[in-house]
Amino acid sequence: MSERLQQAIATLETIILGKPAQLRLAVACLLARGHLLIEDVPGVGKTTLAHALAQVFGLAWQRVQFTSDLLPADIIGVSVFDRNTQQFHFRKGPLFTQLLLADEVNRASPKAQSALLEAMEERQVSTDVTTYRLPDPFFVVATQNPREQAGTFALPESQLDRFLMRIQLGYPDAWHERALLREGERRELLPQLPPVLDAEHVLALQAAVRAIHVSDALLDYLQALIAHTRTHADIRIGLSPRAGQGLLRAAQAWAAISGRHAVLPDDVQAVFGAVAGHRLERRDAVDSADGQRLAELVAQAVPVPA
Amino acid sequence: MSPAWPARLRPLAWTFAAFAGAVLLHVDRLPAWISLFALGAIALRLRLALRGARMPNVWLRAAVALLLTVGVFAGFRTLNGLAAGTALLVAMGSLKLLETRARRDDYVMLGVAFFLLLAACLDRQGLTRVPLYLAQLTVNCAALAVIAAPGPLAGVMAPLRLAGRALLFALPLAVLLFLFFPRLPGAFWALPNASGAVTGLSEEMSPGQIDALTDSDTPAFRVEFDGAIPPPNERYWRGPVLSEFDGTTWRRERGHYYPEPAVGFDGPTYTYRVTLEPHGHNWWFALESVLAAPNRRVLLTMDRRLVAMEPVNEVVAYTASSRPRTHTGEPLSVLGRRYALALPAGQNPRTLALAARMRAAAPDAAAYARAALELFAREGFEYTLTPPKLAANAVDDFLFNTRRGFCGHYASAYATLMRAGGVPARVVTGYLGGEWNPIGRYFLVKQSDAHAWVEIWLDGQGWTRIDPTGVVAPERLQRGLYDLMPGAASFATRMARETAWVGDLVQAWDAINTAWRQRVIEFGQASQFALLERLGFESPAWEQLGLLLGASLVGWLAWMGWRSRRWLRGARPDALARAWLTLGGKYARAGLARRPAEAPLAYAGRIAAARPDLAGGALALAREYVGLRYGPASDPREHELAARRFIRRVRGLRVSASPPGGSR
Repeated sequence: MSERLQQAIATLETIILGKPAQLRLAVACLLARGHLLIEDVPGVGKTTLAHALAQVFGLAWQRVQFTSDLLPADIIGVSVFDRNTQQFHFRKGPLFTQLLLADEVNRASPKAQSALLEAMEERQVSTDVTTYRLPDPFFVVATQNPREQAGTFALPESQLDRFLMRIQLGYPDAWHERALLREGERRELLPQLPPVLDAEHVLALQAAVRAIHVSDALLDYLQALIAHTRTHADIRIGLSPRAGQGLLRAAQAWAAISGRHAVLPDDVQAVFGAVAGHRLERRDAVDSADGQRLAELVAQAVPVPA
Repeated sequence: MSPAWPARLRPLAWTFAAFAGAVLLHVDRLPAWISLFALGAIALRLRLALRGARMPNVWLRAAVALLLTVGVFAGFRTLNGLAAGTALLVAMGSLKLLETRARRDDYVMLGVAFFLLLAACLDRQGLTRVPLYLAQLTVNCAALAVIAAPGPLAGVMAPLRLAGRALLFALPLAVLLFLFFPRLPGAFWALPNASGAVTGLSEEMSPGQIDALTDSDTPAFRVEFDGAIPPPNERYWRGPVLSEFDGTTWRRERGHYYPEPAVGFDGPTYTYRVTLEPHGHNWWFALESVLAAPNRRVLLTMDRRLVAMEPVNEVVAYTASSRPRTHTGEPLSVLGRRYALALPAGQNPRTLALAARMRAAAPDAAAYARAALELFAREGFEYTLTPPKLAANAVDDFLFNTRRGFCGHYASAYATLMRAGGVPARVVTGYLGGEWNPIGRYFLVKQSDAHAWVEIWLDGQGWTRIDPTGVVAPERLQRGLYDLMPGAASFATRMARETAWVGDLVQAWDAINTAWRQRVIEFGQASQFALLERLGFESPAWEQLGLLLGASLVGWLAWMGWRSRRWLRGARPDALARAWLTLGGKYARAGLARRPAEAPLAYAGRIAAARPDLAGGALALAREYVGLRYGPASDPREHELAARRFIRRVRGLRVSASPPGGSR
């Protein structure tokens, strides 16, 4: 199983060049049963990453381009009247898939956003009469542009909290950029990719992540990190207990990816920026990139107990 | 406090609060202009902080400082002492506020606030002030916490709660120091007090000159009896004895001390403890006749008064014993007799004539004294607190015309009659009676209990008290002044006397205050030694106090340690952690010290990257360590063994300061 996972990650690395840390974070997010928010400027391969993840992990996937006129029904689905059976029939929307790519999620109206985010949290959809469970695994990869643009609705803090991680891809370095230019469009390679895993494997991996050992010493460190965000002078609101649970699961997933059976402070530090970055806000500033820096400051300030 | 405030403003606001509170403690004692200056300085500094403007420059500040110093000196005529010093400190503190830039300046301001609090404690120690002082102390400590670490303490309540908690933890320490820290003899709080305006008896008495006795509920002293309590007609508290008379005014004798005959004492012995309020003179009060001086700070004079070395400017407490009657076999000395008979020549002729007539009719001195008393009872004399003024020859005017007066008038007239009749006499002033406080079980003697009476020399008995006022107004002896003349009392006094529960409340408050003062404020060396005796030390001394203090400090530290044992245990690394720290120390020799926030594998990775020759050992040890520390709990015995192996390997680890081969 672990070898398959390493193989999947190696395969992903052939598609997304020069971003091993972000790739691993995305995989850790999937294995921790979280949802992923990718924040970056257009054209750095957000969609490619989502597509590649789906392909390599053998998941069914759907893509929804969020626009300002997107309605909740466009995501969830709609009840239609069937003349033949004289009954209403629920036609499932694109949400009913294993990996949903919600592209440019901040372009949609808050109403459409919250329809998606509620489904993410509950992992089910309720219509007038029936509740439909979403498939398992269910993994949302949302992308958003970081810059404030006309016609966008920034996700409020409460919604951001539903994403386990936020990552930034960033521009490739010079060497990988040349490789990209030389080898052409990566996306064309995707359909030829053989799936390394399938949904069953993903579920098994998710279960295995939960079983990764967490020692008391690690919990002490984790708790100290969280407590520090709550008492830090520059941070408006510290990490919530939900964020703390997410941090632990993400660290477990990271340990699993690293081939370990117990979580180390190294694992916590590896995921801390991605888990805490979008949840922390500087008291006096509005730049969303500040969260990442705050998270780094916190991780550098909290001693790892010997 | 809105989050929009600049970070600098929060400690500054706390500094303001602490300083302003400290100034408020003194505001009724400070000249108004200094308080206004402090207020102005705070407002100005707040404005500067909000608008980010520049502070006044150094020359302006220096000029203002000079002006303030001159102002304080002009107001107080000194820069020394509590009042002037406090005023100067407030003024300079306000000015310092205008140059508070960094954290260091905030600490200075807090120092000023603490010092002002201390000054307030030195100034006034009343029970009502205690909550104020505690509140100020809490605010100061909270400000200290905010200035030291503004981050973790958000809002207003969190710093106050922290300060309150810290003070509670310090409370046992404070109590221990209070009980056992060796004191100098005398009251700790004693400080030269500038405000000498104290009420009480004076050294002279001119019955004709005063036309109204001020009614005053101000306490003169409090008395607790140890054992028997004397009946009301023996509760005469002797103060100044006035022997010189110029026809109008009775004065204390100055420089004329005649040896008096030795006397023996009769009657029950009363032992009592007097807590004397400051009155600015050096006499103490005692029941007649006091047997001995209570302590070495006071003398027992020939006329059986207690005269202290120092004026009573702070509360003093003493224990004395008295017996009510005396007898003697010796006559009064010739000089003493002449002195106690002296009358100014040519004054009060009608009184002299009357005295001669009455003395001739009486068989002996005692009969004459009785006859004179009967005169007051017979001739329609009236007791009043608002007597008419007396003309020249005041005694004549009183005895034959006005016939209205209070104790001073009667004592003066009676003593004059006695002297004119050849009976040695003197006027004694002091207090009569006192109000029983059932809660505190003491008598409260107020200024309104002030009284004057006469002592005459009777052969065989010695000096004998005669109270002519008692003949005119016998109720005065039994009850207080106000029972006699309700109209003389102020509204508040009447209220307390006529409404039972108000009276009870007043008494309860007085009892609590008295207890506070006797048990807390006046807890000095004597009380410490008494405590030591109760704890079983036979001869209390400094050494025992030191011993107890040391022992109790150790106890307090142990208690604090026990309270924070979890924290201490958390801070004390176990063997595994110690080994990991040792490992960091060893690699530190190669310039690769572990950073506190560095995760173990990241640290090993850094070592490996920096020193490939050390990589293998570092990575293996780090893996071993994380396995032991964070890994799944295996068999405890195995874990223990593995940990020991790891510790041994760390001990055996050798880290060279530079890579082998000296490749440079």
